[in-house]
Amino acid sequence: MATPAQQLPQGWEAEWDANNQRYLFIETATGRTQWEPPVDQGIQPQYSENAPGAAEQPVHHGKRRQYAAGQTQAYYGGGESSLDPGYLAGTAAQPGGAQLFTPGLVGENQFASQQTQAAPAPGQAPQYYAPAEPEYINAPGFQQQPAYGQPVDNLANQFGQMGLAGQKQFQLYTTNLLTSPPDPRDLHIPPPEIRLPPNASAKIPLALILTPYRSLKEGDEPVPVITDTVIARCRRCRTYINPYVQFIDGGNRWRCCMCNMTNEVPQLFDWDQVRNQPGDRWARAELNHSVVEFVAPTEYMVRPPQPAVYIFLIDVSNAAVSTGMVATATRTIKENLERIPDEDGRTKVAIICFDVSLYFFSLPQGTTEPTMLVVSDIDDVFLPKPNDLLVNLAESRESVENLLDKIGNMFQDNHIIGSALGPALQAGFKLMVSVITVRLSVAKLWSCRRVCPALVPERSRTGKIPKILGTSKESGLLQAAVPFYKTFAIECSRAQVSVDMFLFSASYQDVATLACLPHYTSGQTYYYPAFNAVRSEDAIKFAHEFGEVLAMPIMLEAVMRVRASRGLRMSSFHGNFFVRSTDLLAMPAVPQDQSYAIEIQIEETISTPFVVFQTAVLHTTCYGERRIRVVTQALPTTSSLSEVFASADQVAIATFFANKAVERSLTHKLEDSRDFIHKTLIDILIAYKTSMTSGGAGASGQLAISDNMKMLPVLVLGLLKNVGIRQSTQIPPDLRAYAQALLTSMPSQLLIPYLYPTFYALHNMPPEAGTIGEHGVVLPPPLPLTSERLERHGLYLIEDGQTMFLWVGRDAVEALVRDVFDLPGYETLRGGKTTLRVLDNPFSERINAIIQKIREMRRGPYYPHLYIVKEDGEPPLRLWALSALIQDRADVLPSYQQFLSTLREKVSST
Amino acid sequence: MGAGWLFLFAVLYSAGLLFGMVFFVIMFSDLESDYINPIDLCNKLNQFVLPEYGAHAFLSILFLLFGQWTAFLWNVPLLAYNGNKVFKKNHMYDATEIFRTLGGHQKETYFKLAFYLLSFFYYLYRMIVALVAENP
Repeated sequence: MATPAQQLPQGWEAEWDANNQRYLFIETATGRTQWEPPVDQGIQPQYSENAPGAAEQPVHHGKRRQYAAGQTQAYYGGGESSLDPGYLAGTAAQPGGAQLFTPGLVGENQFASQQTQAAPAPGQAPQYYAPAEPEYINAPGFQQQPAYGQPVDNLANQFGQMGLAGQKQFQLYTTNLLTSPPDPRDLHIPPPEIRLPPNASAKIPLALILTPYRSLKEGDEPVPVITDTVIARCRRCRTYINPYVQFIDGGNRWRCCMCNMTNEVPQLFDWDQVRNQPGDRWARAELNHSVVEFVAPTEYMVRPPQPAVYIFLIDVSNAAVSTGMVATATRTIKENLERIPDEDGRTKVAIICFDVSLYFFSLPQGTTEPTMLVVSDIDDVFLPKPNDLLVNLAESRESVENLLDKIGNMFQDNHIIGSALGPALQAGFKLMVSVITVRLSVAKLWSCRRVCPALVPERSRTGKIPKILGTSKESGLLQAAVPFYKTFAIECSRAQVSVDMFLFSASYQDVATLACLPHYTSGQTYYYPAFNAVRSEDAIKFAHEFGEVLAMPIMLEAVMRVRASRGLRMSSFHGNFFVRSTDLLAMPAVPQDQSYAIEIQIEETISTPFVVFQTAVLHTTCYGERRIRVVTQALPTTSSLSEVFASADQVAIATFFANKAVERSLTHKLEDSRDFIHKTLIDILIAYKTSMTSGGAGASGQLAISDNMKMLPVLVLGLLKNVGIRQSTQIPPDLRAYAQALLTSMPSQLLIPYLYPTFYALHNMPPEAGTIGEHGVVLPPPLPLTSERLERHGLYLIEDGQTMFLWVGRDAVEALVRDVFDLPGYETLRGGKTTLRVLDNPFSERINAIIQKIREMRRGPYYPHLYIVKEDGEPPLRLWALSALIQDRADVLPSYQQFLSTLREKVSST
Repeated sequence: MGAGWLFLFAVLYSAGLLFGMVFFVIMFSDLESDYINPIDLCNKLNQFVLPEYGAHAFLSILFLLFGQWTAFLWNVPLLAYNGNKVFKKNHMYDATEIFRTLGGHQKETYFKLAFYLLSFFYYLYRMIVALVAENP
């Protein structure tokens, strides 16, 4: 692309922005900046129009739409559309924060000239083009983007700039899958801007991948909050006002972008309540940001915002105590008490221990000595005392800490085997509910538990398991065995109680059944197989994850509703929540960094140039304020099938497939879910072949797909080989159920490595890898996932976000073993879970830096274990590590080449 | 004498079942249009599931006892279907899955509605035939 400077209309300057690798256009007179090349003065919006009350001319509609297109990229949509604030450093990388046009926030260097010329007055800020996407704001910093992403971004941007005023051009590149092996770096390419077809002809699934509550990392800006409680909504479809609506009638009315209803603009919309003077409408956050948070007035409350209540249910039966679970859990709670969100000092806590009886602790005010109350009648659970069981965290902090110190000793010699989880949960629930009726409420219920409770009838299936594994009946093991956990979950959801489960067990304990409770109450399941606190790695992992979960700010009492333009229907919902009506999801708590997938059907042909999706989450923040978080996204439609293919997003499609596969494995069978995913992929390939390639020429020699979807087959293969879905007779049902829970709740950023692990060679990494670079620790270049890359003298790291394997080749030189492990030679090295010490040599420091970086770079509380795997070590561990190399053939599962050739056969036979 | 009374009883009985199914249909469409939440719906409907199955089974057994083979055979498929569901323990409506399975439930309810309607007219016909035969 030629320098745009020559083509600029008068009064404009183009400046190369090195950070973002694209031109920034500056109007010299006003200092206004924008990424899109300015078109002609004639259609530039005049500033006077920005004044309140001014009419918006139809011309702007086109502009708006273009902005909408830009927005979709920001949103990182997928599955041909999807909005995933969670995934991809890549999307965030290119605008890198400099996309903010708010005068105070621009990067100094690139805007220096502008600042000196004329800084725009705040009231005049050109908000039209200011896509200050919260996506960008929330996105991880640029430093997370590996360096190689840069040129690609550059390309993509230039691409984006090719179209001028209208919609951007889409170029479709066809890739032959047979001749182009998957390159892990392609996963980091920012997704294309989504285009929607008017009907479901492209066979590409359509879904919204959504992480409404993402953690704010360093450098992320918070979601803008609108505090004046002026909430403009459409009278008919209840859509919140957003950047895509159109102001008509001199700015006195606005037209809803979903149902075309004309609505009055509320009177106080243009009034600045803080300064008590007329405000600038165009400065309002809801007209400038696609993610905003409204402070909700009392109409949005069923009752006053409730304080958070944390109840910890700790299993203190023999097995739990002897493995050190109780000690680790109490210590972690104690250490993290101050991190529990409690800005307003209202948070309440209670601790209940249980084995075959329930132990309540009463902490009366004024004394730090806890009194233990034992309830051994667990058939009909009651609370032994009406008050003092639940105490205010801020007021009774000391007594809670004192109690936590004592629990370990109290149950030290507990020989009781068996635990009454069910009754304990009911007790916790009663404690919360009983309080609600008096004055307070609700929140998180934690349960740490160890063994199968003998008292809840869930042992029923234990004996049959070995016979069922690998057969078509296996999916039965993944469903709830007893209805208690489902019915109880419904009760919890109604009473706004969310449950997180931390499960520890060496033996079968039916994770599938227990996970129902977190699933329907929008909590999360954490599973530590064969936990033993004697191994410091186990204790660290659990303490880290539990601590993160405790410290996590949560949304409480939330409901989420997704609205979309006419012709689109939300057909199914995936994730951790309870579906309360056809489009309303009940979530007692929204933990951070949890992803939800919403499948969308195009029911009637879409005739509008763009469609809008709006997700609203009504919630109470953890400091007691009622708020509505609104996420709006507009997607342009196109009648050209090639644009649809060129704009499909492989990462979002893979995320959607993971959700869909798990759903099908529960409602149908595991084979069915694999077949379904396989068939959907083939349908996409066939649709592509028939519509995009010339008459299927050379059909036998190639398997064509658009370039932006070329990683899809390998991601699908990764999914088919994932523990949650894989065909095997060896996978314990507990592990499978846990993997499925992860597949349906992790945001794409965590999910994609889980499907397609990252593989690094450490012995020959480039010199800068492992050192602190411009964007933090530099990671080595990832390798394709095949064991062909394993050399006998090498040291490799394979990680999937949940576990890390440090693979040591059998001919590893002594110097390497000495440098990394401080051991004399390969023979003395032992495989298994380990903590790698930092040794006093640069190589060890670099490797530790890489491991540390991998543990920290993704969102979510997970802390992966590190295993040392010797090439000739114990077979189970070796096979486990090798199973992460998904492009290899393993047992009955095909290699990537075999997988492609079956795909080709199926595709060419049609 | 017996057949006439039996079919009179069956007519009234199937009319009752018919109304039951209409109630189910209404409840499902209420759920679709968000007039009722899935928890209440399931609690309400689950009370009626087993009584409905039981009533149908009772009627079938009456036919068997009275030796009304055609009427009995007409009812056997539904009897087997219900029995299978109870045996597999998936006869109850599950609030957590209701939106995923709603289409299936509705189809089933419409099918049963049609079945009871046909039964109603069949029993009516048989009742008239029996009464005419008894009082020539």
